[in-house]
Amino acid sequence: MSADPEATTVQEAAAPAATPGSSPAVGPTAGPAGPLHDRCSDETVVLSTHGLTKDFKRLRAVDNLDLSVCRGDVFGFLGPNGAGKTTTIRLIFGLIYPTSGHAQVVDHRVPEQRQQALRHMGGFVDDPVFYGNMTARRNLRMLGRMNGFVTEERITEVLEMVGLSERGGSKVGGYSHGMRQRLGIALALIHGPELIILDEPTSGLDPQGMKDVRELIRELGRQGTTVFLSSHLLHEVELVCNRAAIVRKGRLVAQGPVSQLHPTSNAVKVLTRNQGKALEVLRGLLGPTGVKEDEEYLVVEAGEELVPEMVRRLVADQVDILAVVPAIEQGLEDMFLELTAREEEEERR
Amino acid sequence: MSHIRREFSKILFLRRTYFGWAGLFLIPFLITVALRLSGEGPPPAEQGGPEFFDLIANNGLLVAVASLFALVTFLLPLLASMAGSQTIAGEAEAGTLRTVLMQPVHRGVLLLAKWFVANLYIAIGLVILAIGSLIAGGAIYGLKPLTLLTGQTVSVGESIWLIFLAYAFVLVGMATVVSLAVAFSTLTNSSLTAVGAALVLVIIMLVLGSLSVFDFLQPYLFTSHFAAWVNFFRDPIDWDPIRDALINFVVWIVGMTGIAWYVFRRKDILS
Repeated sequence: MSADPEATTVQEAAAPAATPGSSPAVGPTAGPAGPLHDRCSDETVVLSTHGLTKDFKRLRAVDNLDLSVCRGDVFGFLGPNGAGKTTTIRLIFGLIYPTSGHAQVVDHRVPEQRQQALRHMGGFVDDPVFYGNMTARRNLRMLGRMNGFVTEERITEVLEMVGLSERGGSKVGGYSHGMRQRLGIALALIHGPELIILDEPTSGLDPQGMKDVRELIRELGRQGTTVFLSSHLLHEVELVCNRAAIVRKGRLVAQGPVSQLHPTSNAVKVLTRNQGKALEVLRGLLGPTGVKEDEEYLVVEAGEELVPEMVRRLVADQVDILAVVPAIEQGLEDMFLELTAREEEEERR
Repeated sequence: MSHIRREFSKILFLRRTYFGWAGLFLIPFLITVALRLSGEGPPPAEQGGPEFFDLIANNGLLVAVASLFALVTFLLPLLASMAGSQTIAGEAEAGTLRTVLMQPVHRGVLLLAKWFVANLYIAIGLVILAIGSLIAGGAIYGLKPLTLLTGQTVSVGESIWLIFLAYAFVLVGMATVVSLAVAFSTLTNSSLTAVGAALVLVIIMLVLGSLSVFDFLQPYLFTSHFAAWVNFFRDPIDWDPIRDALINFVVWIVGMTGIAWYVFRRKDILS
């Protein structure tokens, strides 16, 4: 199992430290020569893809994708629109056939052992769709029983979990988008699978609905269910997931614990009355690459120990200092933009 | 069996299911009332109608036969096309196909269950048509012993048995149209396209079958065998055309369903 040679190394340090909610078995398995890529150990992997590739005529929608989702992960699958997230999920569910490579769910290869694999997972792709002329309960009974026997108590239980217990007897045709999303989650849960795959589950929901669904996902994670959450909302992944992969144009850009996709910075931000002169002074001190302009601030890549010297130089050159503040920790969004921009730059070269 | 039960319960929740069945129930009444009011009777044999049509005013049993004769070339193929096209394309169009296929179900088994239920829909429709015909014919003309095409008369019970055989034969004929529509249904995500394609092919076959220059094609066109059921109303029954027709139907059914099976097993579900 080789790491994607084109994927950017997220953290080229040692194996990721276990963080609360993260899988302790996570560790790098790529060879020493290749870029380090965070993967699960064989015992803990619930979902993996191996060189998964899908072409639609001339378009390569998924390109040699190697994902690894560990048991108990709430795994974020991040990418801009058109990055191949939904196509990847369709491949995992066996709805479409790969051009090459395969997915593996627990011990079952997809597409070859699709039926067996589907017994271990539930979820939805795109918007969940149901039979509109039937009630939610009947939909769950009919579709859920394709996975084996489903009791009425279980139907009641999952409807309660997603907050639809009062509308279970209503026809789904009258449901709002948000209610259908919830019903999609209920169907995913009905047979108690080890792995839940949700494709943009909060899209189109109101803020309260988003909050409820995210809390439900967190709760599933706490109960030990592995959740694979596709999203283009970086904030959502930061809030909910412990591990994530970033894809762009069907390729894996990065994969690892969210805490490590979220690197800290020791930079400080400097605001003065004369930013032009301050820039000149600080570049004199730190070199041309040590200082960047970021909107109204100057961002200085320097440790706290250099701050007194910077201040002395600025004061000596009669630059009035208004503020020196630590640069805010770099968010996943910045990381995502940085990684995808780097990929674009490499492509241009 | 559970797949068949599930697929059948789905069609019971569709309003169009009942429209089709209601239409089949009402048509014999319309035919009977129209014949009664016009006082002219059905087209006589010399004008292209089967010989027993001349006798319909004397026996309500013949309404069942007349209904079959009236519907076998268009309305029944239309219903069969609609039922077949809903199997895959209809669900793909609605988006429910992916919901179903995300459950652990074998695609081939699902397809066969859908094919079976589409034919079951037509079978129920034919039973409704027969019941409607017997009620309408019995109420207006009475049910009497039937005179066959070969001149013999058979009892009401035996007549109903022959009518049953004719309807069963037509059911197999309609299974060819269902199979055709199912095959088209796997090739498109639009049920309207699948219905249209199946119906156009049926109409093309009917046209080819009506032109003497294409007589050499007759044995291969399933539409040319649709009328072979009239041979049940001879004594003895003329089995040769019935056997030829059934062989033709089975070849088409197996061929078209085989294509559907092959395509659907490998189809990328993008709807």
